[in-house]
Amino acid sequence: MTLSMVLERPEVVPRDGLGLSLMTTDAIEMRDLFEEQALPFIDQLYAAAMRMTRNPSDAQDLVQDTFVKAFAAFKQFEQGTNLKAWLYRILTNTFINTYRKKQREPFQGTIDDLEDWQLGGAESRTAMTNRSAEAEAIDHLPDSAVKDALQSIPEDFRLAVYFADVEGFSYQEIAEIMKTPIGTVMSRLHRGRRLLRDLLAGYALERGLGTASGQTRTGSTPA
Amino acid sequence: MTDCGCEKAKAELEEYLHNELCGEDASDIQEHLANCSDCSDEHLVGRTLTEAVQRACREMAPEDLRDQVLLKLRTIQSGH
Repeated sequence: MTLSMVLERPEVVPRDGLGLSLMTTDAIEMRDLFEEQALPFIDQLYAAAMRMTRNPSDAQDLVQDTFVKAFAAFKQFEQGTNLKAWLYRILTNTFINTYRKKQREPFQGTIDDLEDWQLGGAESRTAMTNRSAEAEAIDHLPDSAVKDALQSIPEDFRLAVYFADVEGFSYQEIAEIMKTPIGTVMSRLHRGRRLLRDLLAGYALERGLGTASGQTRTGSTPA
Repeated sequence: MTDCGCEKAKAELEEYLHNELCGEDASDIQEHLANCSDCSDEHLVGRTLTEAVQRACREMAPEDLRDQVLLKLRTIQSGH
């Protein structure tokens, strides 16, 4: 089901040339408006593109493609509605239609149907029993560990987490961006965060974080 | 342990964290968190996770990306 939804994603690709051989003042005003409103999102879109493509060069291409498509479709954008969500929708579509094909993961499209144990995150589930130690450990992990963990969870989960936790989109907005029912968004978010938590607990334990003075957690008293 | 509110709170904690609960449900959770250290620890982990992800994902677009985009838009508009 998810696969067919992915395949049915409408292309936002404009026809080439836009039929604008002459630059009218309208066209220039439109471009200025677009640049004024959309360009400020470039850092955010780039950050999202980095999480999607996982490398700077593809991320830059993706952002550029996104702006080109958004510009071509800008007439259809309804002023006063959420431009950021609109841009993210184009970014996500572009990523899925173009880049994901290049770097398709083995179970792409059916990830929602996989059980947690098939995703490999379940074994560390009980790694940390003391929650305040866990919070402290997560807080002290280097950004690189968090990025690694994010990169290693399934893409649909990663995007849901990114959209909710970094961008602050509502579940409804994420549902629209990812073209999926809200229940699926909630499940992706929940499972994505669970996997992340397990991975980070694993990192923390490896580094001796999160267990009072790095000893075994059984019987240790919080400092 | 079923009527202490933990079950409901645990189930809704993620929605609470993401501001998805309506005012009444949110204040129920808030009240529960104030009185339940187990749930408030769980909530702390959730918040910390969100903050860690936010911190790790901060990124600035490379300087010339903006120029490239502007150039591209102008090229398109002038009909190639």
